[in-house]
Amino acid sequence: MEIKTSEYRVWVEGATVYFEGTMRLSSNDAYAPIQEIMAKVLATAPPAVTLDLTGLEFLNSSGINLFAKFTIEVRKLAHTGLAVRGSSRIPWQSKSLPNLKKLYPALDLAIS
Amino acid sequence: MISHYGIIPPERVENVAVTRLILRDGALELRWFHCSETAEFLGDYFSVQARVAKLNSRDAQHSIGYMANEILENAVKFRALGLGDIEIEATLQANAFEMQVMHFVEASVGERFQALLIELLKRDPGELLIERIEANAADSSSGGSGLGILTLMSDYGASLGWSFAQEVPGAPMRLSIYATLTLV
Repeated sequence: MEIKTSEYRVWVEGATVYFEGTMRLSSNDAYAPIQEIMAKVLATAPPAVTLDLTGLEFLNSSGINLFAKFTIEVRKLAHTGLAVRGSSRIPWQSKSLPNLKKLYPALDLAIS
Repeated sequence: MISHYGIIPPERVENVAVTRLILRDGALELRWFHCSETAEFLGDYFSVQARVAKLNSRDAQHSIGYMANEILENAVKFRALGLGDIEIEATLQANAFEMQVMHFVEASVGERFQALLIELLKRDPGELLIERIEANAADSSSGGSGLGILTLMSDYGASLGWSFAQEVPGAPMRLSIYATLTLV
């Protein structure tokens, strides 16, 4: 599963969803294909899903909403955990990713 | 009539260099990607000044870019048809980045936005951000209204102010958004 545009790329390896580039889409509808990829990974009921954001340079607030909604989806599941991997090199991640931990304290957040 | 919400812009100090841009909603139309292109330009442009001022230029580039993009996305989304130009003014003095974005909105849009601002400005932005995310997740049709403003205030420590000027009831309103960031 992969979505590739001139701005960003989203792809799946096992239970890890990778995000790369710049995602500043205009609405929830515009983010729907990405949400679908994430939902498909979740539907395989892995012990944990990882979102690897270490290559995601820019994200708008609609994109932050996408990750927040996904975090809340995983929070509802008894047998699937969530890990988020970020980079301290990318300023938005240190500023905004801790909000996901507030939504789901069991989330494994690493910003390295 | 003018209605203010949030902080009010101070009088501008004389001899401050102001960067002015106008996004004209002319024959070629304003499109979504103009938000990110303009935001990136502002981020890049002021990151050079930030570097000269011995600030963290990468953080300045990203933070200014995020703030400008969020404000411009709203401007492009909600601008009044036929009155669609968007004016931008930005300055960097010491570690204070300031920007003002002016455009027109239809009266009904301005009234809805003012009602939203009254709700948003009543509470701690960090708490309200989490609360709104939870509410948005419970409503699949929600587009995350106000999240951009709340992330700016909560995650970036931005101070924001809005003024709505309307000449007669029912007429389009001139909306001025004032935003400041303290760069590190």
